[in-house]
Amino acid sequence: MAFITSFIESVLVYTTVYTLASLGILISGRTGIFNVAGEGIMLASASAGFLAAFLSGSWLIGFLAGALMGAFFGLILAFVHETFKVNQFILGICLVIFGSGLSDLLYKLVIGVRLSAPIAPDTLRITIPFLSKVPIISGFLNHDVIVYFMYAATFTAWWFFYRTKIGLETRAIGENPKAADVVGINVSRRRYLATIIGSSLIGIAGAYLTIAITKTYSPDISAGRGFMAVGIAIFASWKPQRAILGGFIFAFIEVMSFQLQIISDKIPYQFFLMLPFISILVIMVVFKKHIEFPASVGKPYSRE
Amino acid sequence: MAADYINCKNISKAFGVVKALDSIDFVVKKGEIHGLLGENGAGKSTLMNILYGLYRPNKGEIFLDGKKTIIKSPLDSIKNGIGMVHQISTLVPEFTAVENIMLGSEGEKLTLHTAREREKIKEISEEFGLQFPVDVKIKELSAGIKQKIEIVRALYSGATLLILDEPTTSLVESEFQQLLKSLKVFVEKGVTVVFITHKIKEVMEACTAVTVMRKGKVQARVEKEELGIEKLVKLMFMEQNIEVTESALPKVNLPEIEISKNPVLQVKNISITGNDTSPGLKDISFDIFGGEIFGVAAVSGNGEKNIAECIINPSVLHSGDILINGESIKNNSPLDVFAKGVSYTPEDRIKEGILNEGSIKENVLLGHQEEERFLKKKLFIDWNETALAARDVIKEFNVDTPDEELSMRRLSGGNIQKAIIGRAFVSPLKLLVTHNPTSGLDISTVEFIFKKLVELRNSGSSVLFVNEDLDELMIVSDRIAVLHDGKLKGIFKRSEYDKYKIGLMMIGG
Amino acid sequence: MTQKNKAYSLILNNLIIYGIAIILALGVISIFVAILGYNVWDALRTLLTTSFKSSFGFSETIKKAIPLLFATYAFTIPFMIKFFNIGGWGQMLFGGTMTVVVGLTLGPLGLPAIIMIPLLLLVGIVSGGVFALVAGFLKAKYNINPIISTIMLNFIAYQFVNFIATSDAFKDPLEGHPITQKLSESSLMGFFGEIPASIIVAFIAIIFVYLVMKRTRLGFEITSVGQNLIASQTYGINFSKTIMVAFFIGGALAGIGGSLEVINIHGKLIEGFAKTSGAQFGIFGVLTSLVVAGNPLAVPFAAFFMSVLLVGADSLQRTMQVPVEVVFLSQAIIVMFVVIIREKYGKGNK
Repeated sequence: MAFITSFIESVLVYTTVYTLASLGILISGRTGIFNVAGEGIMLASASAGFLAAFLSGSWLIGFLAGALMGAFFGLILAFVHETFKVNQFILGICLVIFGSGLSDLLYKLVIGVRLSAPIAPDTLRITIPFLSKVPIISGFLNHDVIVYFMYAATFTAWWFFYRTKIGLETRAIGENPKAADVVGINVSRRRYLATIIGSSLIGIAGAYLTIAITKTYSPDISAGRGFMAVGIAIFASWKPQRAILGGFIFAFIEVMSFQLQIISDKIPYQFFLMLPFISILVIMVVFKKHIEFPASVGKPYSRE
Repeated sequence: MAADYINCKNISKAFGVVKALDSIDFVVKKGEIHGLLGENGAGKSTLMNILYGLYRPNKGEIFLDGKKTIIKSPLDSIKNGIGMVHQISTLVPEFTAVENIMLGSEGEKLTLHTAREREKIKEISEEFGLQFPVDVKIKELSAGIKQKIEIVRALYSGATLLILDEPTTSLVESEFQQLLKSLKVFVEKGVTVVFITHKIKEVMEACTAVTVMRKGKVQARVEKEELGIEKLVKLMFMEQNIEVTESALPKVNLPEIEISKNPVLQVKNISITGNDTSPGLKDISFDIFGGEIFGVAAVSGNGEKNIAECIINPSVLHSGDILINGESIKNNSPLDVFAKGVSYTPEDRIKEGILNEGSIKENVLLGHQEEERFLKKKLFIDWNETALAARDVIKEFNVDTPDEELSMRRLSGGNIQKAIIGRAFVSPLKLLVTHNPTSGLDISTVEFIFKKLVELRNSGSSVLFVNEDLDELMIVSDRIAVLHDGKLKGIFKRSEYDKYKIGLMMIGG
Repeated sequence: MTQKNKAYSLILNNLIIYGIAIILALGVISIFVAILGYNVWDALRTLLTTSFKSSFGFSETIKKAIPLLFATYAFTIPFMIKFFNIGGWGQMLFGGTMTVVVGLTLGPLGLPAIIMIPLLLLVGIVSGGVFALVAGFLKAKYNINPIISTIMLNFIAYQFVNFIATSDAFKDPLEGHPITQKLSESSLMGFFGEIPASIIVAFIAIIFVYLVMKRTRLGFEITSVGQNLIASQTYGINFSKTIMVAFFIGGALAGIGGSLEVINIHGKLIEGFAKTSGAQFGIFGVLTSLVVAGNPLAVPFAAFFMSVLLVGADSLQRTMQVPVEVVFLSQAIIVMFVVIIREKYGKGNK
């Protein structure tokens, strides 16, 4: 029982990363901006967030810095795309490369080379009286504040898209920007907002890697999770409630393959490390019929 | 006499160098069902999109209810009580009717009173006699129902002027009668209607006043008491200034020649499933013989594109068969069809016809890439041979270019079209399928293209000439088939040509 | 304006774009270098001249330019039909790994170099091509965005390298890291002085790409689909087939690049090889290709120029302690500027 509970606990840690990042991707996707820069944003925010947390001694300032770095990337993406109609995928790839360069550069400039790696301050933990002691359930609840933030963000995104008028309008842009335009919705402004907010969430996911999970910075720390998050957003058909499910599934696969790699001596450990990447492709093939895209995602919009 | 509700003065609009509207004056009075009649490309939709704030005019003023109004965006027009139902559905296919209608409405942004709104929508649809399922996704509904939803959406946001852009394109007769009834209810309730169409019959049945447009200009405003089919057809299809008429039309010499007894193309009872932009084809049969130009006359969106396309790509056929020189091509790929001596010039020459960045030489090769003449060892392209062919095209078709290496996009529209048609002549040609080859070209280029089509015909080959301009069809075709709503309405021999009759048939009269 | 003048102005415009790109490149790097408090003039001189100041600098440049050339082609060929192969690195890794597997397996047979080397290159071609074909197939059949699939394949290939390099059959028992035993002498390519012999293969590849793209029906079809999918289909070109072939060719070229790294540079399989200046070649390949807007004929020049910058960047780090990321990051910014300029410029001509 204790093993299952602690297993769930570690799955939830990575669920937080995957879910926040794919939420960020699907929020802008709902307005038609296909943000493939997730990996770059996560790396840059992992670095900026860690540095801010380390220097200020405050986890909160760290996460705010991560979010701000994400917002900055979102602003570039939205501005260049909306102003010059540059292909979103080319932009995204440039931003991935930009982010991975920026992350190491920031760290080198601020910290340099030290004998002992700097450690991030502890993130506030929240335990819920009684429930956090129940086996299994406590795996979901005995966590730092960002895990709860992830629950709240998922619920808010769902509520926003499916229970508010502004959310309905936002979804309309992704499905048919012309339809939104003719009823007087400012398509471009919404795209800016969604991309900036979404990218901030990706930034928080990146900062979570360094501030909460490893507590130190190392190069290429997101290790492809930013790209996995794009895959999860697609698997989720750009729906928040399915993104958290997808986030949990892939976190589960990641943690499980890590555990199996320790206990299994028959199968080479590399195949377990491949598993998350193989499974996302397999899942996209298997669920092909259940995957829907907002019709305008990835496409520029102009009236004439 | 009722007051002017809309008064557009001296409106002009150009897209790049193309003049879409030329000093338009347009008046609609309160309580009218006003028909805006004209051929495709006459400028009807452009004018209405300006009124709705989607386009900004280059020149001119708009007065609403006597007040000068500047409309910058759809939001402005909605605030001024203008609602528009677009030709292509602007509903979100993934949403239900209620969700779509709620989209544009005012009110709090952070709640979604679906139940309350649903009731309100139901009230409005009952009041105006427009019933539809409110909780089904739009993508599962028919075109007629989508239209009702769009109308209710406009009324819901308080429209007192309703613009319907070709509302009947995809409606069946009974749906049209229903729409007609609703229009009368609208007027009773104080709504003014502008009804864009190219179907005269509908105008006669529905409208209380009509404005006829032709080639970016207003021909006339016709009051109810003056309405008559003959008058409208003339306004729609014929120039008003007699002196322009003669010189404005291309001249071609069409000699009498022997027409072969064996059909080059046999179309046998073909049907194609329709979609949002086309009714498809319904049980069409005709033969084309060697040595004739067979014209197809249709108002755009009546299945004429399907006719042209299905011969090149027969895989789209739902039923029926097509034979070339007696051989069925039902299971052929485009390259197989080309190999039988068929070639094609598509309707949209830029989007469907050319490699924009490619040289003239590369463009001439397109469609011939499998022919032995242009291949070495089946793998390599013989660019020397291609260059020769391209030079032939340039010479024979007077393409204005220093050489065959120039990028295609550097050519003018007329030269692009000449190159596309020239490409079809590169290999021995039995049948040329050509769709609107002259649209937007100057008269000397049109004459030149016609001369080439006639030369082909005189040599004993055939041309399937799908065209939206009836004048041109009558000048250069040996026979004209009229297509309306995906059905073949009749075939005229040259001796039977009657512009009025054909025009009427094209618009469903 | 006459047509001829228009043609000249087109060439002129292209020269202006590349001119602006180079000036921007140096400008952006200068700004970063200045912000970080280094001497701009020294930095630019180091960046641009290291390759040409010593024979070591030049051979280093060639050693980077060869794999970069193949990585750039890997992105460029599928990009000609508007799809993104970000998996050049994975295809290099897979091609290189299979080369080592075959090389070590056949090693004991003692086949001569004249058989072994072409055979190993063929292994690289086929395995790299098939690895990329997976992404082409997933796009054609399941509509999976190649950006996602090729990146996932990168990670899979990375683990596959480690699997082979740590497997009992191939690993070097004396090494702590995942590294295989050395290939036999007859499997290895030599050097002309300090210049690797694989430069010959690079030149053959340049000619091959030129021939395929400009002289064959296949190249014509790939070019056509990229320029206008609708027109190409109207005139009889099969889209699914074209996309799969384009991915195969791109992957095959990356595969050779991987093979050459193994049989000419390392002589064995090393964990996560095909990297330079702090990042993998696939990423540099993407950047290099985007700078020349995916024009395959411009790729060799762009790859050489980029290698000059990379060698300069390494030297900057050694001599002036300017972090190598500065150049890396600047390249991303430059590509973004170039793409914007091209977008603006393209509009003015339509």
